[in-house]
Amino acid sequence: MTAKTADGKEIGKEERHYHPQATNCRDTKEKYGAQWKVANIRDTSIQPHQAKKETFEFDLPEGVRTADITVDLFYEAVNPDNKYPIHTITRRVSLDKE
Amino acid sequence: MRIILLLLIAAFVMPLSNVEAQKAKTIDELAKMFDASQCKSCHAEIYAQWEKSHHARPLMGVKGGLMLTPLALKKGEKGSTAFSEDDPKKMKISNFPCFKCHLPQAVTHAEDSVAVELTEALLAKDSEKVAKLQITCIVCHNEKAIIHKRELGGPEKGVLYSAKEVTSHPDATFKTVKKSAIMNNSVYCGQCHGLGPNLEFDQAFQCANLYGSYLHNYVSGGGTQSCQDCHMKKGDHLIAPNFNDEKQTSELLASALSLHVETLGYEWLRKANTYTPKVVVTTKITSNAGHRIPDG
Ligand code: HEC
Ligand code: HEC
Ligand code: HEC
Ligand code: HEC
Ligand code: HEC
Repeated sequence: MTAKTADGKEIGKEERHYHPQATNCRDTKEKYGAQWKVANIRDTSIQPHQAKKETFEFDLPEGVRTADITVDLFYEAVNPDNKYPIHTITRRVSLDKE
Repeated sequence: MRIILLLLIAAFVMPLSNVEAQKAKTIDELAKMFDASQCKSCHAEIYAQWEKSHHARPLMGVKGGLMLTPLALKKGEKGSTAFSEDDPKKMKISNFPCFKCHLPQAVTHAEDSVAVELTEALLAKDSEKVAKLQITCIVCHNEKAIIHKRELGGPEKGVLYSAKEVTSHPDATFKTVKKSAIMNNSVYCGQCHGLGPNLEFDQAFQCANLYGSYLHNYVSGGGTQSCQDCHMKKGDHLIAPNFNDEKQTSELLASALSLHVETLGYEWLRKANTYTPKVVVTTKITSNAGHRIPDG
């Protein structure tokens, strides 16, 4: 999720990662690759019957009353450069009532 | 009388010599043993779907990456693994526990020399050779078709198994198709799609554990569809996703995952006369798949 001012300055950026996370059970480092992984220690993947809900909250800088929000959902396979876009949703949020 | 006697001898000797001849010594021999190119002439559409599937490239699934390479590296070399040896010639089938799911026919039908040849091919980045090793029609419709071996016996030579029986099947080698008890059941796919850690090896490790998620998060939540219901509609053998097709993968993921966004802008009152302008964004993702996304 990225928030920008109306003139494009970034004022907030947050990420959430959804995936099973495994170690080799000999140290506390997460591992990639079947040859290193032994068991999941944490699983933030998206499961059936369980919605993933997040709240992102940030303060606007002095004098800024409008923010453009972009929420990007994408998939990474094998390495972070191999991306598959899924959804992009944009919203303009204003503190001024129309 | 003599003719009958001769036939009897043949019948007794054949299976024995067959068992010996059964193990492949080279990658080419193993590939040939499970070669299914003859199926193409009659099952052209299914064959074309399978050719594009991950099952047709189980050792280089995503964009041609030779993912068994770390195991082939010399022990101690950067990136090498617990399964590596200090000399490629020492590599055995058991040094590639990945074969359990990525190439099950190697476990049952290959000599250790195949592991040596594969190791050398990986080190030489010989993708063409590695690509010969596939989860073919015969691996799925014979090798993996029976899990109740004590009750039903193992898969027979020259027989295919499927969700339905075909008493006279016109293929030259596979003259019948018998009914498999599990071919349209999720447990069939579960043989390779993983429950969790593979604890039966002397060095435990984990790859796919999607079948665990299917059982413990989908079925447990009331889900009733099988893997085949969702992934093989009308007998589709692409069994998507195909991660080499970026556009299609994005589209499938977009229909599987919904994203809902709400926003709020307001001025928060911390204490008298100190307003903090705030934006709150809430997101909600839901999935209609039968298991976690992503797995692995
Ligand atoms: C000469 C043509 C021919 C060849 C070659 C051939 N098939 Fe078939 N196969 C058929 C026909 C025709 C049927 C349908 C029979 C029916 O439905 O009554 C069939 C049925 C099947 C079925 C059962 C389908 C079901 O409904 O469950 C499977 C599985 C199958 N074939 C797999 C294969 C495989 C694997 C190969 C290659 C080793 C192969 N076939 C080669 C013609 C062929
Ligand atoms: C329990 C069965 C199983 C075992 C054992 C297994 N894998 Fe996998 N692997 C799978 C399945 C199924 C997939 C694809 C589906 C998924 O990831 O959920 C996969 C996917 C992969 C991928 C990602 C796809 C790609 O082509 O890049 C890599 C890399 C991989 N495995 C490497 C290995 C290695 C290395 C080993 C051995 C150390 C291994 N696997 C052992 C079942 C297994
Ligand atoms: C013999 C073992 C085996 C069986 C049986 C099997 N798979 Fe797979 N499957 C694999 C492996 C290994 C991969 C990953 C290959 C790669 O990309 O490296 C895979 C890949 C896939 C993929 C592609 C996605 C991905 O992450 O690679 C899907 C979808 C899939 N399998 C579904 C199924 C379904 C549904 C069934 C049952 C009808 C099934 N599989 C049966 C071993 C198997
Ligand atoms: C990953 C395992 C896998 C592979 C590889 C595979 N099949 Fe299948 N096949 C299945 C399963 C499972 C079914 C039963 C699906 C069902 O009942 O929903 C099936 C069904 C079929 C059917 C019946 C289709 C129908 O319309 O009902 C035919 C014919 C067939 N396969 C032929 C082939 C041929 C030819 C190949 C090789 C090009 C092949 N299969 C490769 C798992 C596989
Ligand atoms: C209720 C429908 C449904 C069922 C049941 C189901 N799947 Fe899926 N599966 C999906 C959807 C939807 C996706 C995501 C869209 C896509 O990538 O094709 C998916 C994705 C996958 C993937 C890719 C996972 C990844 O890491 O991105 C694999 C592998 C897979 N399924 C295998 C299976 C196997 C094996 C079973 C049975 C144990 C199964 N599926 C049962 C609907 C289902």
